[in-house]
Amino acid sequence: MSGSSETASPRLPTGIPGLDRILEGGFIAAGVYIVQGPPGGGKTILANQMCFHHAANGRRVVYVTLLAESHARMFAHLRRMAFFDEAAIPERVYYIGGYSTLQAGGLDALVSLIRGVMQKHNATLLVVDGLVSAQESAPTDRLFKQFIHEIQALADFSKCTVLLLTNAERESGFYPEHTMVDGVLHLTDELSDLRPLRHIRVLKLRGSAPLRGLHSVRISDSGLEVRPRLESLLPYRSVAENVLPSGAKMGFALPELDDMLRGGLRQGSVTMLLGSSGSGKTLLGMQFLSAGIKHGERAVYFGFFEHPEAILAKCQRVGIGGLRQGIESGQAKIVWHRPVEGVIDELGESLIETIGKIKPHRLVIDGMDEFERASDFPERMSSVYSAIAHELERNGVTTIYTTELRMLFGREIEVPINGLSAATQNIILMRHIEHQATLLRVLGILKVRDDDYDGRMREIRITEEGIRLLDTFAAESRVVSGGGLSPDLRAGHEE
Amino acid sequence: MADRRSVLIVDDEFGLAEMLREMLRDDGYDVTLAINGRLAFDILRERRVDLVITDLMMPVMDGAELAAGIRGDDAMRGTAVLLMTSLPARLPDKSGLYDAIIRKPFTPELLLAAITTCFAAQRERVRRQSSLGVVSSDGKAGDRAS
Repeated sequence: MSGSSETASPRLPTGIPGLDRILEGGFIAAGVYIVQGPPGGGKTILANQMCFHHAANGRRVVYVTLLAESHARMFAHLRRMAFFDEAAIPERVYYIGGYSTLQAGGLDALVSLIRGVMQKHNATLLVVDGLVSAQESAPTDRLFKQFIHEIQALADFSKCTVLLLTNAERESGFYPEHTMVDGVLHLTDELSDLRPLRHIRVLKLRGSAPLRGLHSVRISDSGLEVRPRLESLLPYRSVAENVLPSGAKMGFALPELDDMLRGGLRQGSVTMLLGSSGSGKTLLGMQFLSAGIKHGERAVYFGFFEHPEAILAKCQRVGIGGLRQGIESGQAKIVWHRPVEGVIDELGESLIETIGKIKPHRLVIDGMDEFERASDFPERMSSVYSAIAHELERNGVTTIYTTELRMLFGREIEVPINGLSAATQNIILMRHIEHQATLLRVLGILKVRDDDYDGRMREIRITEEGIRLLDTFAAESRVVSGGGLSPDLRAGHEE
Repeated sequence: MADRRSVLIVDDEFGLAEMLREMLRDDGYDVTLAINGRLAFDILRERRVDLVITDLMMPVMDGAELAAGIRGDDAMRGTAVLLMTSLPARLPDKSGLYDAIIRKPFTPELLLAAITTCFAAQRERVRRQSSLGVVSSDGKAGDRAS
């Protein structure tokens, strides 16, 4: 099999970490690659980013434009990008226009022009931006393929990697040039509801085993960033419901709640805090982290809604201490992402990187729903959650994640079923109830897998002195499902 | 009728050169185009040109090589050279080669002002060279010494 020798071919990194990961380290040196996509899809940025990375390593690049935007306009756009280094132009990155030559002398003249400029500048990376112009000027597909063949020969002879950028779309859907080149990357730019979604996909990559499928792309002043699909990076394993954490109990340092849980949450377990908005989920999560920090454990808060400073201030107001000191000593970390700021792979990668770096004993993911909101394709969620659950389990992290209950009041409670719920051993419910014309917060344990627990509903009261659980509803029934009936009314109602 | 001043525009990028040609023709110049320095140099060997407006990065022969060729050829020393470049932050450190440098993108007014600067610099250079006996011409700047 030739695969092993081909895989050993020297790679030319693109300098875009996520893309290099997808490409198994980069393009194979001296190969010819097509990067295709719609206008605005990011082809020019991708190619330029690779050019300046190449130049930063002391090598030389030639960039040929064919009826693309003018160089002045291109530089004006690129100037805001972090990778753009004007000092590398023209010595290491050299831009020329090729359209006039193409127009005057056809494809043969263009090949001669490219050959000359590559040799003159000792280029080891060549970009031809606007391949569609060459295609359109070729009288037949055969002559266009001949042009590609000549570029290939040139690449091989000069040991120069070639990127051909095009937005060509053929009605037939068949691209004969794809059969000739060493690889094809496809960039897309589409709308999902009102949200723009960019992706990259490797259609072909000779001598490699790339990560297939769509991977998300973001373009910012940092340049083009590629996030490989989370589930493609981690070994797939369906979450086994019968995996039972068997470690010690990890408490909240809230005696009443720890009693209800018979000491706390089992080490390595995953717990869903299901509750309505304002029911105290975040604070209970922070209380859990605070208790761990006081025991010398490492803790991570991964959230979306509140700025870290706002969370710390809120904790301080209700007497949840130790967090700021934990952060300052490196024992704890707050990771904050703006809601729906990123794509799901960006969030997932951030979470998994954080777990890998900090190796937390305790983790709170505040707002698991944000992962779903950031998802490009809902059908992916199960795989994404499986990947996350696998990482949590592998690292033995005791995790609490919060999930929003859709209804503020109501008799029915809908427990979200997703890929992570299969890995969820415990469910704690928090919500508001109306009790004697007062809105109270209530907490109850819905589930602790294969372990004993106290199922009584408790009022959860959050004051400046901290969090307390009270037996406010000891004599009542239907506290959560509606009614809040006292014993004298209960008898009549149950008839 | 007085001779029209001649301009050679050298640019490999399609579009800008064609637009400048129309604009300068309207202003009364005799304009020729070339898509790289080598083709431009061939034209300059055949006939006198008052002003070369050249891009920097081009295939075959770039703007700096073209300007060096012009400065190194006695017969072309009277030709003014205007460099146009897209690199605003770092202009080429070859000031002796060009009579003026203009940054892309530019307005027609800026270009005309740069051309005026070029011709003034050209006259001054020819005057200095004449006083040193470097160029033996009939006093008309840019004439080829035959």
